[in-house]
Amino acid sequence: MRRLLHLLNGPHDLGRGPVFWSGMALLGAAFLAYPTVASSFGATNTAYYLLNIPMALGLSLLWGYGGVLSFGQVAFYGIAGYTYGIVAGNLTDVAWGTPVAALVALLMAGLSAAAFGYFVFYGRVAAWIVPILTLVLALLLSTFLGLTAGYQWRVGTVQLGGYNGMTGIPSLQIGGISFQDYAFFYLVVAVVAFCYVALRIWLNAHRGQVLMATREDMLRTELLGYDVRLEQLRAFVLASLLAGVSGLLYVQWGNYITPSAMGLQQAALPVIWVAVGGRDSLLAAAIATFLLNQLTYVLSSSGNQSALVIVGGLLVAVMMFSPDGIIVGLARGRWLSTLRGWRGTARPREATNGQ
Amino acid sequence: MGPELASILYQFGTNAAFLLLSALGLIVILGMMNIINLAHGEFMMLGAYAATFAVHRGIPFPLAVIVAFFATALFGIVLERLVIRRFYGRELGALVTTWGISLILAQGALLLFGPYMPSIPIPGGAVSAGAFSFSVYWLILIGISIALVVALTIVYRATSFGLQARATMQNPTMARSLGIRIGRIYMLTFGLGAGLAGLSGALLAPTTSIAPFMGQQFVAPAFITVVVGGGANVIAGAVGSSTFLALIETPVSLTLGTFYGTMALLVMALLIIRVLPAGISSLGGRLKLAAAR
Repeated sequence: MRRLLHLLNGPHDLGRGPVFWSGMALLGAAFLAYPTVASSFGATNTAYYLLNIPMALGLSLLWGYGGVLSFGQVAFYGIAGYTYGIVAGNLTDVAWGTPVAALVALLMAGLSAAAFGYFVFYGRVAAWIVPILTLVLALLLSTFLGLTAGYQWRVGTVQLGGYNGMTGIPSLQIGGISFQDYAFFYLVVAVVAFCYVALRIWLNAHRGQVLMATREDMLRTELLGYDVRLEQLRAFVLASLLAGVSGLLYVQWGNYITPSAMGLQQAALPVIWVAVGGRDSLLAAAIATFLLNQLTYVLSSSGNQSALVIVGGLLVAVMMFSPDGIIVGLARGRWLSTLRGWRGTARPREATNGQ
Repeated sequence: MGPELASILYQFGTNAAFLLLSALGLIVILGMMNIINLAHGEFMMLGAYAATFAVHRGIPFPLAVIVAFFATALFGIVLERLVIRRFYGRELGALVTTWGISLILAQGALLLFGPYMPSIPIPGGAVSAGAFSFSVYWLILIGISIALVVALTIVYRATSFGLQARATMQNPTMARSLGIRIGRIYMLTFGLGAGLAGLSGALLAPTTSIAPFMGQQFVAPAFITVVVGGGANVIAGAVGSSTFLALIETPVSLTLGTFYGTMALLVMALLIIRVLPAGISSLGGRLKLAAAR
């Protein structure tokens, strides 16, 4: 336990020490208390802003800590969402149908990521090929599911539904609790908190260190006796599982999923959240995801068509003027004067950190 | 047998020409600058828009295509000066940034010009052989693809720009020490790549509907062609990859449908990178090595 706490407080994310963790505890308490003041509608909306955080954490792990960029995390989000819909829809009479469906969905996301990742990482391709091929995977999945309109496209009793998507997906139900409204909000908060804590511990433990070593120098890590292909594949599968978690939560939220959840524009969003927040900090990626989801939701629900132009412009501006991300840039800037003493002014990994 | 064979050859030719036209601008930029331009589809959209504006102002279509080339090339040069040149040596940064640009361009075109553009009628009629009929325009496109490859070969092999470009590609530091202004070479290459994307967009415009998000349909085939081709040799990569992929795609599309043809391309790309991570264009180097042993 002490060891885990020590790892949790480890150096590979923003924020350490008692003050920071008291702040995090307060934030957690605020989220837990939020439903007492919010309407059921408000709580569900806030849950929606939160539910993409696991996917963003996964991309931050892969891109910021692993130096491997993926543009197709939404593919695994969609695979998990669709699989859950198919399995849960066929097991409506079974008591443990929905938790089983959730497990199968995560398994499918993980397995498809492992199969896809095998070809990409074991071929040792150039860095730009991974994002391109993952993007193509997401696009083709989205196109394929768009073609599945009509009665002949069904699995058991569930219809895939083509461009209109799959509707009437049952909510998760464990024992007597059905996760809707406030219960769904608490579920999302718990899952997000768990993912953050677990991932931070993982990153500060041995495996995380090895992953960061592959980002810094692939050849050197390999010469130290690690199979860098396996390390990258592991990070990719982990990130895809996290994307699957987000996909699962998404289908709980709206009880539907459409192929556009894996489309080109949707695929851009996780990259934007993580880049704008700061890819080499889990916390920054999570905060940016929450805020940007709120921004796009507010913009698009007010009928403003320029939402994509605004987030696209934000992405270009951040990449040009603050390549470390806004939140990470701010946090490091404030601490820079104290860090400078022992760290030197230049950060040596700037040249290779996943750029 | 004659007409059937002609039909299969025609299908193969159109598939290969489509892949080559979709990917040519992308692969020119990748091979020279090691940058993947994710706004490639949107550059094609810009080319199609430029051609549409020109055609509906009474300019004949062949001239409109040339207008589209120069308009998109100019846009590419401006973009390179303002944004892209900050990302040399940071390939993932360039990928992400060009994606942001693609979002802005597509949604911006929607806001500025609305969801539909008037279409361009497909030039030329059809010729028939036996029970089959072939579109004259697609036959012309096959010819243009070959002409483009020949023209690019001449540019790279027989002009001083091509010589300097190849030198920069092989060793930028050495090229700069020899007095080549590599910043200018990069700028012109990006302009050339953008212009080729615009040209292809304009050429393919009559065969599709012209809309702000039309670039998306080229994304998957273009990127797969580039991944399979690799950046080691621009022309060999583009030609080799599009012919090879068309050989795979044609039978699958004919028997199962267009979508499965594209799906077969992705599967092929995954298999190819497993054996040839640097793409088909690295094959030449490998064969030379094998012969030398």
